[in-house]
Amino acid sequence: MKLPARLATIGWQAAYRLAATLALALILGLLTGHMALSFALVLAAYAFIQNWNLIRLERWLRFRSVQPPPDISGPWGDVVAIVHRIYLRKQYHRSRVTELLREFRRLTTAMPEGAVLLGPENEILWFNARAGDWLGLRRKRDFGMRIENLVRHPSFIDYLHTGVPERGVVVHDAGQGGGRWFFFHIVRSDNGLRQLLIVRDVSREQQLEAMRKDFVANASHELRSPLTVISGYLDGLADDDKLDPAWREPVLEMRRQAERMNMIINELLELSKLESSETTSDDRPVDVGALLAAAQKEALQLEQRPERVHLKIETDACLLGSESELHSIVSNLLSNAVKYTPAHGEIELRWWLDDRGAHLSVRDTGIGIAPEHIPRLTERFYRVDAGRARDRGGAGLGLAIVKHAVQRHDGTLRIESKEGAGSTFTCDFPRERVVNRVTSQALSV
Amino acid sequence: MEKSDLSHHILSRFNDDLERVRTNVLKMGGLVEEQLRLAVEALVQGDSRLGEQVANSDAKVNAMEVAIDEDCSRILATRSPAASDLRLIVAVIKTITDLERIGDEAEKIGYIGSRLASEERPADRYREIKHLGRIVGELLHEALDAFARLDPAAAVAVAKKDRLVDEEYEAIQRQCITFMMEDPRTIRRALDVLWVARALERIGDHAKNVCEYVVYMAYGKDIRHLSMEDVERHVQTRLRRVP
Repeated sequence: MKLPARLATIGWQAAYRLAATLALALILGLLTGHMALSFALVLAAYAFIQNWNLIRLERWLRFRSVQPPPDISGPWGDVVAIVHRIYLRKQYHRSRVTELLREFRRLTTAMPEGAVLLGPENEILWFNARAGDWLGLRRKRDFGMRIENLVRHPSFIDYLHTGVPERGVVVHDAGQGGGRWFFFHIVRSDNGLRQLLIVRDVSREQQLEAMRKDFVANASHELRSPLTVISGYLDGLADDDKLDPAWREPVLEMRRQAERMNMIINELLELSKLESSETTSDDRPVDVGALLAAAQKEALQLEQRPERVHLKIETDACLLGSESELHSIVSNLLSNAVKYTPAHGEIELRWWLDDRGAHLSVRDTGIGIAPEHIPRLTERFYRVDAGRARDRGGAGLGLAIVKHAVQRHDGTLRIESKEGAGSTFTCDFPRERVVNRVTSQALSV
Repeated sequence: MEKSDLSHHILSRFNDDLERVRTNVLKMGGLVEEQLRLAVEALVQGDSRLGEQVANSDAKVNAMEVAIDEDCSRILATRSPAASDLRLIVAVIKTITDLERIGDEAEKIGYIGSRLASEERPADRYREIKHLGRIVGELLHEALDAFARLDPAAAVAVAKKDRLVDEEYEAIQRQCITFMMEDPRTIRRALDVLWVARALERIGDHAKNVCEYVVYMAYGKDIRHLSMEDVERHVQTRLRRVP
């Protein structure tokens, strides 16, 4: 019997069954003549069957994980089918999630990084084996403990509480086996309830970096002494009147190249000195205005220079920093501007203050730089046009020195340029470094 | 025995107070650990600037000691803690004194390190000091770990290791005496090295004290001046009693 969907629901089915039972009772009553008795008996049997089915359903629900669903016909059978379907679906989802979790755990164990999941109060919720090994955490026992109680490096704690999450922090761990360098990086969820701490072993990088710095410093230092001897003899030869005139030009050229080499070595040494520490150690208030004025005077004394060199000092504020490094910033930027600006061009030196901090800029109307070169300008020995730069002298280290020196003063170097129209190099220093003249005099006393 | 031990108070502010004090002590511990590491590094590398830096930044440790001390007296006055909470506060007050002393010793090492940097370095490049420094550093680290985890068994294990430091110190002492007898010109330097070794040995003792406070905090048993065997037996029976 095929019923329309609306009439095939469990409720209707139950109603049909009840109606059929009542009809059976009526027929029996008519046949036997005992109407009341037959109704009572038939309804009792009906109630018994219903109850029996209910009990079977209840038993199955209770033990559904081990028992197959009972074979019941009628509305109860439909109920069993629906429940069974829901149960199977749930089981499927659960097994998928468990499988996923197991995969995830396997992956995080194989991960080359350590990972620690933290709650809002920095309490440890979970960590992978590598993080446990590196940070000396113990499974189960340390769950719920604050991470800063066990990983106690001061710079790490600073980073955890106040640091910019994007930057990360490198920490030296003196622990087992000679010490290691770890890089910590934290990722926070939007609502701040969960934090993922990623730990990387950067010992190799740190060692390589240290080796590179040492190498550059040592090599430049070692090259210097033989070069002094060579330059000395070349100077003697160049001044010697008895020298064969055919040799005069080559000797002079050799002397020029030796001078250039000496300059490169000096700049390399300066750069490696700047790199050896992150911030300036002996900070004093430096009068940047006076520094710029002196630089302008020097530039005006050059023979080959642009027509006009302006000075725009808009504030008499001083900058807290190292005088020699600030001097090297100004002189490097200015000598670049002089080199690349034609005789009819102009250069402007500017020093001003706004609510973000202090700014130092060198603007020229020179040949400019194509945009694709700008990001790479501060690399060592990077040249926009190799041939041209060599003609004008210069080692290719000037801007690298400027960048490092500015960074050591917590500042940034900005480069804006348009080909053919000129370039502007701006150094932005933070407010904390600015001191006004009165306090600076008090400080220097 | 873990964080749950501290968070049984209905007053959540009280819990916060206790937790904060404990975290601050460990933060101070981290600072002291770093000081010790840098001081030994300054000496071994002959880096006078690093040595001076260590000698100058002891003020931070002192400031933390004062701040934690104040916090503790405030908790004592306003919350009148009892039982394990009281023990925690008492242990904290004692621990920070020891940590501050460790900071002082590190300062001393940094100072001597910066002075020795300008002098000729011995052939062994202070290998013994480096070795002793590493042992003491580990000892301090494990002591603070035991404090963080409130783990008396680990604390006793660390306290026992202090003997190793004493032996190491003896060896350095003997070596220095030999050097001085062989070549009187090295007396000055050898005396300085001896001072450093002595400072490291003292740091080991302070770390051991911290371990003793951990046992006190967990069991309320004062184990100072007891032999290590007695202490161990005591901790073992207590551990067995707690399922």
